[in-house]
Amino acid sequence: MADIALKPGALAAPVAKPRSQWRLAAERFMAHRLALVSIFVLVALALLAAAAPLVSPYDPERTRLLDIYEPPSPVHPFGTDSLGRDLATRILYGGRVSLAVGFLAVTVAISFGTFVGMVAGYYGRWIDSVLMRLVDMMYSFPRLFLLILFGVFFKGMTVTVVVIVLGLLSWMTTSRLVRAQFLSLKEREFVVAARMIGAGDRRIILRHLLPNSLAPIIVAATLGVASAIISESTLSFLGLGIQPPTPSWGNMLRDATSDMDKAPWLAVFPGLAIFLAVVSINFIGDGLRDALDPRHVQRREGA
Amino acid sequence: MKRALALISALAFAASACAPAPTGGGATGAPTGPAEAPVRGGTAIVAIWQEPSTLAPHYANQTVTDIVNYGVLEGLAETTNEGEYVPTLATRIPTVGNGGAVVKGTKLDVTWELKPGLKWSDGAPVTSADIKFTWEITMKDPKVNNRTGFSEIESIDTPNELTAVVHYKSIYAPYPLNFGGTSPALMPKHLLEKEADISKTEYVRKPIGTGPFKVADFKAGDSITLEKNPNYRGAPDKPYLDKIVFKSVPSSEVAIAQLKAGEVHAMWNLTESQTPEVEKEPKLALQAVPGPSVERMELNTAKNEEFTDPNSVHPVLGDIEVRKAILYATPKQQLIDKLLFGKGKPGTSPVSQGWAAYREPQEAYDQKKANETLDKAGWAKGGDGIRSKGGVRASLTLATTSGNQLRERVQQVLVDEYKAIGIEVKIQNQPSSVILSGSCTGKDPRKLGTFDMLIYASSPGIDPHSTIFPRYHSKNIPTRADCSGQNYTRFKDPVADKAIEEAGATLDQDKRKQAYATAMKQLNAAYVIVWLYDRQDLDARSVELRGWKANTWQRFTWNTEDWYLKK
Amino acid sequence: MGRYVVRRLIQALPLLFAISVVSFAILKFTPGGPLAAYEGNPDFTEADRLRLEKAFGLDQPLPVQYLAWIGNFLRLDWGYSFASHQPVLQLIGERLPNTIYLMGTVFVVVLLLAIPIGVMTAVKQYSVFDHAVTGATFAFLSTPTFWLGLLLIIVFGLQLRWLPLGGMSTPGLEQDIGDRVRHLILPVMTLSLVQVGGHVRYLRASMLETIGQDFMRTARAKGLSERVLVLRHALKNAAIPLVTIVALDLPELFVGALVTEQIFGWPGMGRLFWDAATRSDYPVLQGILAVSSTLIVLSNLVADVLYGYLDPRIRFS
Repeated sequence: MADIALKPGALAAPVAKPRSQWRLAAERFMAHRLALVSIFVLVALALLAAAAPLVSPYDPERTRLLDIYEPPSPVHPFGTDSLGRDLATRILYGGRVSLAVGFLAVTVAISFGTFVGMVAGYYGRWIDSVLMRLVDMMYSFPRLFLLILFGVFFKGMTVTVVVIVLGLLSWMTTSRLVRAQFLSLKEREFVVAARMIGAGDRRIILRHLLPNSLAPIIVAATLGVASAIISESTLSFLGLGIQPPTPSWGNMLRDATSDMDKAPWLAVFPGLAIFLAVVSINFIGDGLRDALDPRHVQRREGA
Repeated sequence: MKRALALISALAFAASACAPAPTGGGATGAPTGPAEAPVRGGTAIVAIWQEPSTLAPHYANQTVTDIVNYGVLEGLAETTNEGEYVPTLATRIPTVGNGGAVVKGTKLDVTWELKPGLKWSDGAPVTSADIKFTWEITMKDPKVNNRTGFSEIESIDTPNELTAVVHYKSIYAPYPLNFGGTSPALMPKHLLEKEADISKTEYVRKPIGTGPFKVADFKAGDSITLEKNPNYRGAPDKPYLDKIVFKSVPSSEVAIAQLKAGEVHAMWNLTESQTPEVEKEPKLALQAVPGPSVERMELNTAKNEEFTDPNSVHPVLGDIEVRKAILYATPKQQLIDKLLFGKGKPGTSPVSQGWAAYREPQEAYDQKKANETLDKAGWAKGGDGIRSKGGVRASLTLATTSGNQLRERVQQVLVDEYKAIGIEVKIQNQPSSVILSGSCTGKDPRKLGTFDMLIYASSPGIDPHSTIFPRYHSKNIPTRADCSGQNYTRFKDPVADKAIEEAGATLDQDKRKQAYATAMKQLNAAYVIVWLYDRQDLDARSVELRGWKANTWQRFTWNTEDWYLKK
Repeated sequence: MGRYVVRRLIQALPLLFAISVVSFAILKFTPGGPLAAYEGNPDFTEADRLRLEKAFGLDQPLPVQYLAWIGNFLRLDWGYSFASHQPVLQLIGERLPNTIYLMGTVFVVVLLLAIPIGVMTAVKQYSVFDHAVTGATFAFLSTPTFWLGLLLIIVFGLQLRWLPLGGMSTPGLEQDIGDRVRHLILPVMTLSLVQVGGHVRYLRASMLETIGQDFMRTARAKGLSERVLVLRHALKNAAIPLVTIVALDLPELFVGALVTEQIFGWPGMGRLFWDAATRSDYPVLQGILAVSSTLIVLSNLVADVLYGYLDPRIRFS
């Protein structure tokens, strides 16, 4: 934004518009109390996970067979797991993985989706048709089935593979949103004006169309993070996600299911962590949507 | 043979499915007192957390198929808990001593006599033609799971209704079980001979057998119901139960919960970590039966590279002192106590059960000794605590089947233990369909030689030759030219080779036992395999379900004819 | 309108063709393959492997395999499962009623809950009720299905012992309606709690939009009671987008809910797919993928057509 704001003049009209729009949006967002609380919770979670070695005195992978299945206590606030590791510590380290997977998968999805949407919306014609048929096709596969097939395909998934698979299965919504924005924006006066003064495709897309399409992308991205975290945990629960010893909230839950009788806390805390992260992100997304894109309608993928 | 098949396919399947695999430990089930009068009637419900995709014995590749089929199908002979062959449908076990088995040069003739008056569950008589048909169909049907033993048969004569003479091309020592048990089981000629493709008949879901029960209903994904076979040879005395229902449940956790709630009477297969939950319930009985399966960690002595040269030397594991140190640093007993909940015994050799068992223990856990061994061998600790020698860092990979909870847990403990003696270990798991694929094209790292250390289980049949020869004879090291061998550690020892060859050339059990012992002693002296633990079959039942007996060589449903329900 | 439907149907054909090619390719390039299940067996030899590959037609070049499959598929010969040797059509036929039974119940329960709750939250916007529903909605939307299912099993199955832990019925009591209903409660609860939130929020938003529109003000000015107003006018208009959402949910009646079926041991389509996926049982996977993709494409079409039919402002061109 700063970059644009510094150069008023020829582009004054389109620049002024987004600025006030963003300010209004920020005001609307600040009014969404749950979203504000959620930002605080999420940042706290992320900071704790990032600072795990400073926060916890325990090594997440060091096994202690003499201390297995210890219930929650002051020494181990969330108890210990089947190999005597401190569960709270594992949750922090698992949070690094789960949150990273969520954000990175969405980065992949948004980048790819935005690119496809941009190209389709800006160039139109047969390029648009081909790309939108591709989107239709991706939408026509039952998503969980495809996830499972990819899970089986890349058995023994690493974080990178999970990120790519989740990303490549969730870019379509973004591409449709971006395309729609581009289609409507490219006929608007300020774009036509820019084209008339000789701006190239690149400049028009990056300077005019993309900044004005950001609002729905941001909302989709936020909600996408929540759904990616849930997808990762589901995949891990089915045994097709990130493999031990790398902890993720999902594979910790999977490991806990056979100990439900001995150590129910092993299933409760990682589940709560997922819940807390996802619900915060969803509230933030809701706040952002109210602020940026009040008429957007959400469609949820089947469970 | 059958067990080896069943167990390993169970492992393969369980690891890819969503629940943990069966493993082993050491407690006892409580057989019921002898002098109790059995109660007649009633329906026993057994929870199974995998669904048999088919019950046809010659197509099946899941352990759970055997669990159901033990009540339905039979063969000519079976194995007792003590490892003795006993006749089932035959009148006796043919041996060299009783003239039933005759060695002719490098060939073998075996004569089987059927008990008179046997009937299939549909009422048709069982004849020697069925024996011949079973062999023929196994060799003819392209979809059968394997042809072990059957491919060694040259021809079968049926001089009369009850007699079959099997002519083997070689001295096939495991012949007594060639037609034994549930897979393979005897197959009914009168029903199947006209079928062009048995896989498309009702037989795949409702096989006809001679066992105490017959399949009454197969509800896919839900339940399989067996009901009393009126033509069973023990009828009308046995079986005691009217019906057995095998009920599909989503997981072993749910099976235990249903067992506790009294919704089912027994469950197949639980993990070691679930055993305390069953043991603390007074109304439940744990059935822990030592099985022949041995969990081991194999060390690659050749270079870790694709189609490794058997004569190459692994930069770290090529040093026997390192291999010794790894053994000393492996806390077998602690793993068994804490991760297996005592359900297992420290492993000693590839053959833990039966007449050829070799039970000389490997050296015990001693971290200090491990460190000293490495110090003496010139592996010095660096600043990060990891040893190196001549510029080679003691850094290794450890692989096992991904998704197997127990193995993953064991692995993580071992990584820690080896780190403590200055050996860095990285986990590198792959799914069982790759790691246990047993094929070079399937990229099995054991076959290719692309591993440092690898944990898996293998289970010898009651005749150990089919385990010892392919796995420990030096001519069975898999190479690019011939990938069929299973000598994955690239173990080469002329003394062991000679002993294994001797054992394979005779039917004299004492001589064979001696020779196998020599081979296994040599194997252990090379420190190429850490025998982690002998596994147990773990099942559970309500104390109301009685009559069950332990059998190391069969599955827990092997004697359903003796089961009954009593409050 | 008729021409529009026909054109959309014709457009769907290349799409369906592409989907079938892609799903075939995904399956075929998955490592492991259907013979992996056999290969763990030490008695299974290289000769056995080659023999089975031939028996299953896996030795043919991929295009040949594909053409053979699609040809048979169109003639309703969907092949035989590699694992169970049963015809794929029969396997689907066995599981489909169970899935429709479960998902149909969920479908009805979700609508029965979502419509009144959605209307109430819109009418009483910003009330305590509205806030409570919004909170609960977000909570359930943010709970992984499998975790919710496990918690319900722990609480109602294991701790309280009120409800059975899984399956469709108790063996021997298949005809007992009460028993079947008891088995239905937990899986339906799991799925409904997760799904109802989305529908409620959707209905609430579109009700709010409708209530703010001109014709509502006119109706109110005519002196219609608030009750009639809401039910007759607002709901009728707000329901239009809901109908399309419902149409888009229809494929789930076929696809099932894999995770829930897995947790509750429900013998439905989801588990059939899961078992087939873990065994690389290609004929079964291809059958299920083909049918579910077709249903998704068709339900999209139905949704679009319904939308236009119900909302006269949309013109088909």
